[in-house]
Amino acid sequence: MFTPCKFAVRAARRSTIPKNGTCRRQSTATQIEPPPPGGHLPSISSSQLLRTTRESALRTSGILWADEDDSGPTRNIVGGRETRKMNTYQAVRDALSIAMMKDDSAVVFGEDVAFGGVFRCTMGLAEEFGRERVFNTPLTEQGIAGFGIGLASMGHTAIAEIQFADYIFPAFDQLVNEAAKFRYRSGGQFNVGKLTVRTPTMSVGHGGLYHSQSPEGYFMGAAGLKIVIPRSPIQAKGLLLASIRDPNPCIFMEPKILYRSAVEQVPIDDFELSLGRAEILVSGSDLTVLTWGTPVYHCETAIHMLSSPPPSLAPHVPASLRSAKIELIDLRTILPWDVETVTESVRRTGRLVIVHEAGMTAGPGAEISAEVQKRCFLKLDAPVKRVTGWDTPGAALQYEKFNIPDAVRILDGIVETLMY
Amino acid sequence: VTADGAQIPTYRILDGSGGPIDGAVLPDIDEAFARRIYENMLLCPTLDNLLYNIQRQGKISFYMTAYGEEATIVGSAAALALDDEICIDNMATGQYREMGVLLWRGFTIDQVMAQCFGNEDDTSGKGRQMPVHFGSPAHHFHTISSPLATQIPQAAGVGYALKRDPARRDKNIAAVIFGEGAASEGDFHAGMLLASTVPSPTLFIARNNGFAISTPSTEQYYGDGIAARGPGYGIDTVRVDGNDVLAVLSAVREAKKRCLESGRGVLLEAMSYRVGHHSTSDDSYVYRARAEVEDRKRIDNPISRFRLFLESQGWWNEEQEEALKAKLRKDIMEAFKKAEAKKRNNLGELFTDIYGGEEPWNIASFFLSFIIWWLRKQQREELAALLKKYGDSWEPWRNELAKFKDQGRNLLK
Repeated sequence: MFTPCKFAVRAARRSTIPKNGTCRRQSTATQIEPPPPGGHLPSISSSQLLRTTRESALRTSGILWADEDDSGPTRNIVGGRETRKMNTYQAVRDALSIAMMKDDSAVVFGEDVAFGGVFRCTMGLAEEFGRERVFNTPLTEQGIAGFGIGLASMGHTAIAEIQFADYIFPAFDQLVNEAAKFRYRSGGQFNVGKLTVRTPTMSVGHGGLYHSQSPEGYFMGAAGLKIVIPRSPIQAKGLLLASIRDPNPCIFMEPKILYRSAVEQVPIDDFELSLGRAEILVSGSDLTVLTWGTPVYHCETAIHMLSSPPPSLAPHVPASLRSAKIELIDLRTILPWDVETVTESVRRTGRLVIVHEAGMTAGPGAEISAEVQKRCFLKLDAPVKRVTGWDTPGAALQYEKFNIPDAVRILDGIVETLMY
Repeated sequence: VTADGAQIPTYRILDGSGGPIDGAVLPDIDEAFARRIYENMLLCPTLDNLLYNIQRQGKISFYMTAYGEEATIVGSAAALALDDEICIDNMATGQYREMGVLLWRGFTIDQVMAQCFGNEDDTSGKGRQMPVHFGSPAHHFHTISSPLATQIPQAAGVGYALKRDPARRDKNIAAVIFGEGAASEGDFHAGMLLASTVPSPTLFIARNNGFAISTPSTEQYYGDGIAARGPGYGIDTVRVDGNDVLAVLSAVREAKKRCLESGRGVLLEAMSYRVGHHSTSDDSYVYRARAEVEDRKRIDNPISRFRLFLESQGWWNEEQEEALKAKLRKDIMEAFKKAEAKKRNNLGELFTDIYGGEEPWNIASFFLSFIIWWLRKQQREELAALLKKYGDSWEPWRNELAKFKDQGRNLLK
């Protein structure tokens, strides 16, 4: 598949990991690097959702320490644990390293993973674990998925990488017809639960048609698969470790614009975050915003703009709406999605805005809004609103700012739904 | 395509009359082993005859015979260790004969019948898959699926897993069997490439029987068959007479040895002819002459060729032939009657084995969903409620329910 070399070149130039593997940067606020050319969103570096202190990182909601004795009482011990500042690709790399350290059968493979990967997610793993466990494959997505299925069917932990989610389609047959159905069709005799397919997803500012896609919706009907999308470094590490160890084949989609722009203190120990559980990031009572991946930060900005709109937008935000309490939910797992948390929220707020980068028609928002209207029919005060990418064939390069659901479109969706 | 039109030669041991060709080296086999091979070769068409006929009577929904390729299948099975991993590429190109591998490994006629009927004893897939989609971890036989060629790159992954396992490295290989039509799929290309490049000890056995349903191999490729592609991938390759069980046995033994030595893939192309129809949904006389098929059956029959060899060794005679045929027919008939009388699995199995671990909410069990009242009516309960309402009054459902072990009761409870 075509990979613009500029991704790799930029990645190398902007690498912040010195040879000793620790991060030299002290603070994102005073970083010396220029922002990426496409411009990462102004909200990410200042997001209140990112955990920038050790204390807050260790108190991450739902964190399950994997090194604790399962038979013991559930505890949440913070003392004695350490965190390290990581961006998302470093957190992914950290998760892979832990998974491989604790499981001798685990192997990592894909296109260009041996030198560290075009997004640096596998940096140093080949040196640490050897080329037998971290290796390049020929350039064949259907082959990568099929090879991983074979490994996993033998009980080995297979962590495959598809270089961009845009290129997962050649593997669609292997993933939907084979991986998803492996356990069911064999009467439970065989399974490929130890397969995890990692792939970078969503827009990046200049990715055009084939470096920007959000294909999660295409897999939503593939019963037997799990689809997971994290929003931050802590989430990436915890959800990736959970995906690798989940007894089902998982597709783990990493929002590529967050690889560098989202930075958190991440616990260095082994921990997991449960799959199939959404997380309420901001509590509210007047409207629910449901999203995942990169748009989490656009939604945060939009909610902030609702309560204190900049002067230029103020005429579009009626004063009566500015005190509205908006609930923000990160879905995290797309399949199977957490219907309980979402419907519980909508029952309280009576209003729902769903935000995703994928196109609207038959996107994940269609599935979710249908189920919500079925379950919350009598509680809904407004139609379910979907703020999504337009139904164009892809993210047209020069038009991206008008295609993605950015903060102002989300703000407009919230205002419209509140005023209904 | 070479300038002089030369083709990769076909390796043979026995000639048409069952005698060794000049200079041929017989593989190391004793009388008991040879007889076992023959018995298995004869079991395949006997089983095929019955299952083909009962499909015609509507007792099972679908079948694919293995006529004409008994030597390829049984010869390959006999050459491999019982714990080499076999991945079968589904209903490959034209027929479907890998059942013989399972039978060689001790899969019983009862288990074959259970799968084809999809009854409560079906361990292959609890009645979820079409007939002839067998599978058994105990026999190191990965469950068959319909999409063509998907198991070819999977086999490379299986081979790599074997190489990484200290207990099985240097001992076991992965083998995948597929038809020449499946070799046109992208997954064939991917699998060959991965096994040679990564590399993985994987044996690719292509059954080239001349047809993929109606498409003759002349419309499948222009080059010298499948074998000619092997060297392009850097893979050791051999073409063998697929109607000569000793040649297949010998070549597969050597191929496995090379797989283990090199740690890479090896390609074996077995040339034969699809004597039967593609499947019970196909009438092959629409696209080929009946006389041609009859000729092939008579002139180059893998079973009779091997029988002549056995007789020349004094290992087989007419009396034993008749006794074996009678015994096989009896065993198969008994298994058939037993399988036909059995019920299907519990209807609730429709919803199990989709996920491992916690069941997702949309199919969750009644007990789980009861805890949260607004989740009560999930898909399993929804079907149960519909059965309660219409199970007696809607005839298509009433008739079907009677075929299940529990008549659907475990859903209704």
